Amino acid sequence: MQFAEQAKKIYNKLVWTWNPGSEKESGDAIVKNILLHWFPNKISKGSLSWNYSFYLGTVSFVLFSILTVTGMILMFLYVPSVERAYSSVKDIEFVVAFGWLLRSVHRISAHLMVAVVFLHMVRVFLTGAYKNGTSVGSNRPVNWIVGIVLLLSTLLLSFTGYLLPWDQLAYWAITVGTNIASSAPVVGEKIRFFLLGGNTINQNALIRFYVLHVFFLPVLVLFLFLYHMWRIRKDGGLAIADHESLNQKPEKALPVKSKTYSLLGITNGTSVHVQTTMVNEEENTVSSVPHLIRRLWLVTLATTAATILLAILFTAPLEEAANPSVTPNPAKAPWYFLWLQEIVTDTTLKLGFITINGAFIGGIVLPTLLIALAVWWPYRDPSGTGSAGVWFSSERKKQNYAFIGICVVIIIFTVIGTFLRGPYWNFYWPWESWPTMPVKF
Amino acid sequence: MNESDSAQSPKETEKDKNSRRAFLQKIGVGSVLLGAGATGFQSVRALIPDILYEASERFKIGHPAQISEGVTFIEDRRLYVFKEGKTFYAISGACTHLGCTVKYTKLNQPKDIEVDGLKKKINFEFHCPCHGSKFYADGTNFAGPAPRPLRWYKLEQSPDDGQLIVDLGEEVEQNFRLTV
Amino acid sequence: MNHKNMKQKLEFVIKDKTIVSIVSIIFFIVTGYIVFNYMTPEWKMYQNEFQSVVEEKLGVDRAATVRGGLQQVYVKDLGVTDRCITCHMGMEWKGMENTENPYRSHPKEILVKHPISKFGCTPCHGGQGYATEMQSAHGFAPFWEEPLLGKELAEFYVVSNKKAMMQMNCNTCHRYQKETNGMDVINNAKQIINNKGCRACHIVNGRGGTVGPDLTYEGEKSAEQFNYERIKGFASMFTWHVTHFKNPKELVPETVMPSFGFSSSDAQSLALLVMSWKKAKLPIEYIPGNNFRDIPSSEESEKEERMKNGPGAFFVQRRCFVCHSVSSLGVEAAAQIGPDLALAVEDVQSRFGRTLDDFLMKPTGTMDVVLSTMIPLTKEERLEAIGKLRQAYELKKKERQSVVKNK
Repeated sequence: MQFAEQAKKIYNKLVWTWNPGSEKESGDAIVKNILLHWFPNKISKGSLSWNYSFYLGTVSFVLFSILTVTGMILMFLYVPSVERAYSSVKDIEFVVAFGWLLRSVHRISAHLMVAVVFLHMVRVFLTGAYKNGTSVGSNRPVNWIVGIVLLLSTLLLSFTGYLLPWDQLAYWAITVGTNIASSAPVVGEKIRFFLLGGNTINQNALIRFYVLHVFFLPVLVLFLFLYHMWRIRKDGGLAIADHESLNQKPEKALPVKSKTYSLLGITNGTSVHVQTTMVNEEENTVSSVPHLIRRLWLVTLATTAATILLAILFTAPLEEAANPSVTPNPAKAPWYFLWLQEIVTDTTLKLGFITINGAFIGGIVLPTLLIALAVWWPYRDPSGTGSAGVWFSSERKKQNYAFIGICVVIIIFTVIGTFLRGPYWNFYWPWESWPTMPVKF
Repeated sequence: MNESDSAQSPKETEKDKNSRRAFLQKIGVGSVLLGAGATGFQSVRALIPDILYEASERFKIGHPAQISEGVTFIEDRRLYVFKEGKTFYAISGACTHLGCTVKYTKLNQPKDIEVDGLKKKINFEFHCPCHGSKFYADGTNFAGPAPRPLRWYKLEQSPDDGQLIVDLGEEVEQNFRLTV
Repeated sequence: MNHKNMKQKLEFVIKDKTIVSIVSIIFFIVTGYIVFNYMTPEWKMYQNEFQSVVEEKLGVDRAATVRGGLQQVYVKDLGVTDRCITCHMGMEWKGMENTENPYRSHPKEILVKHPISKFGCTPCHGGQGYATEMQSAHGFAPFWEEPLLGKELAEFYVVSNKKAMMQMNCNTCHRYQKETNGMDVINNAKQIINNKGCRACHIVNGRGGTVGPDLTYEGEKSAEQFNYERIKGFASMFTWHVTHFKNPKELVPETVMPSFGFSSSDAQSLALLVMSWKKAKLPIEYIPGNNFRDIPSSEESEKEERMKNGPGAFFVQRRCFVCHSVSSLGVEAAAQIGPDLALAVEDVQSRFGRTLDDFLMKPTGTMDVVLSTMIPLTKEERLEAIGKLRQAYELKKKERQSVVKNK
């Protein structure tokens, strides 16, 4: 009996920060728990709402965590050598208990993460959340740029992981993908040589991609993520919070009882009456613990469940072992690069005797332009502070349309490249069957 | 009856609603714990291999006639096979202390020993290079940290092709001899 | 107002909690489904059934020795990892010859020279050794190029000999043999190659003309290398070869290769033969026809025979001949370290001052070491040795006398 009581006491001591009993404890929880430390004490209901942020950033982080956990287990099972890579993946598929699941979850999370990080960026743009609001010391454009780097790192993470199974899909996707680098003028070939550690994809390329995939890029993403989160606090929370405080009517702050320490001792009195705009705490905010935390757990749980469910429905494919002498038809880059491949298919330009490789335009010029535009945009955006933190602000109509236009083009071309391109890059409607590829028997 | 029913029903539905919610929540907490447990189990289970690429514990070492008289050391399996005319036996070369490979050491002069009251004459010993454990010719430990004698393994003759089979999975007593 | 606020808060909290519960239940169902699948793999069903078949046929005791769980044959030399025996458990069992597959035991004769531990399964039979489910293990699965070379495939291609397909794989090792037991289909094809003079135009196994393409590694080509536009029916490399052998002009109108009017079965066996010409990485001991042993010259083997079965056989079998000759019995020492034993009777007397009988029963010096460790002789054997040595001495004496007489 006494033991049970003791146990309960210890249990309560351990979990009270997650389940505070009062507003005071809720505030204390933020300070006393390292994991909760980076959340604000109170959070506005707008920031908490589903349909402002859709929690896409949280989902990205949950996916990153899932990838880390499954990836760490897969690291124990996978052998990054040309001789063993394919058979170790076969082993993971067939004789490692739950190996197929780990691999499938890892793959699906990677694909989802690319998509979700992209959607997160779309959300931030359409809500004008890269704009500075009212709070002092905020520098949201920097966080937007960090976000772009995070998106690119996510793409690279996925791309480097693509090679590891060492099957035909992997080998040729990376061949096609890295040849884009070689189309850059002057240094292109050298960049590809450095990236692959040789002219062809072989052991050097495999171990390079492996080390990038399991160490450098994840660490980079982790640090950038920490900085990304920290900046949110520095920038005064989500942009919607700024928007909310802008729309508050200024009201008198109630006098607060105060103590003043002076040479003569403590003087009791009330503080100065200030005319200030401040978020009405009672009305519009709730304690982060437990309300924000509950939401985060909910998002974590839902993301995990959805990922596992999708992993069962769409298991990871493993094609024939990599064969440098046979190119599968069609050979496609990873899907998130296919919009580029699709755009560049007919952009090999001939101007007199100068031929510009389509890969150069699609692989170098176009993405560089887009990234440059994205980095530059927050500094160029002419709209006022009031349009930060609102979906489809009327002040930002034109830029939103332009942005949506670009995204729609990217998405349409991605879909075409992924689903509608068959052998010889010919166009096939979904209801048209591809010609069967020859087999030995 | 009907009246009282209708009067009470809103209250009860509220109560029902609450208890239904509480029930749903309990199921929720239960499932999430079980689900998380299962996921954890899956992750750890994946690291316990079901298939090994190790060499089989039972293996053939050749026809009795092909094995040389005296001692033969099978290096990759760390096994000393002894042939004395028509009898065979096998002693493990793995030190029983920490598993280093013991070395067959010929004695300059035969030595008289007594093991379990039995007097024997030996002309070789096994010496372990790691921590100096020493074993008599029959594997009995007599010096150093080794806690027990070297293992003896079962030998048998294959009914199919007459080759000798060693079974590293089956340990035998020191008086084991296979006579062919 | 305060009250309303509280209630509002409460409402979204309740909503959240309900969603959490529902998601939790979905999560639980999904993970539960995975664990259930893990507990009931396809191969477990086959293993259980195998156990009951063994119980029925060979009794409970044998059934208890069936090892459960995933099984594999790993042949490092060939780079083969075959898990076929996870379901095909009876391969090496006796008494399972007449059961249904997958439990039936493998025909014994062929296993003598091709033990499973050295060859695995897929090098001969095809299929996907990695796999642990029937469909993918038999290789009838996407992204696997080597299907099981069995009855199903033969039926699909209307090959009358149901065991024909597998012979393609036999020929990976048996490629350079003119004729191999049990490989009638390939043997037939090899004969056709010789009879029809294919080498006039093609290089076959490194020998032939260059009018047509070099066929040495024809089987190494990938299926994508062929043009299937004129093929009616299923587009596969095998179909291509069969059609091409029957009538080359049907597929390649501009070809100069004549039509030999091969029957279907001849065309099929030729297709299997050319498809077997792969670049196989084989450890040297897997190549048949090569005995990696010294082959003795006829003189050597005659001498060996004489010593083994001649009058001095006793000294050869007991390995005395390693050091000693017994000249009068035709035994010649390998390394002539010891004295000729033909003279042992007088030799022992003069060296040790003891009789031969006495010395052999209680030897001293080197002979003591040899007879106590390397050549242990029983009392009977020693007596036999003494008898034989006396006999040898008598013969030697006669020899000497005849030499003297002749002089």
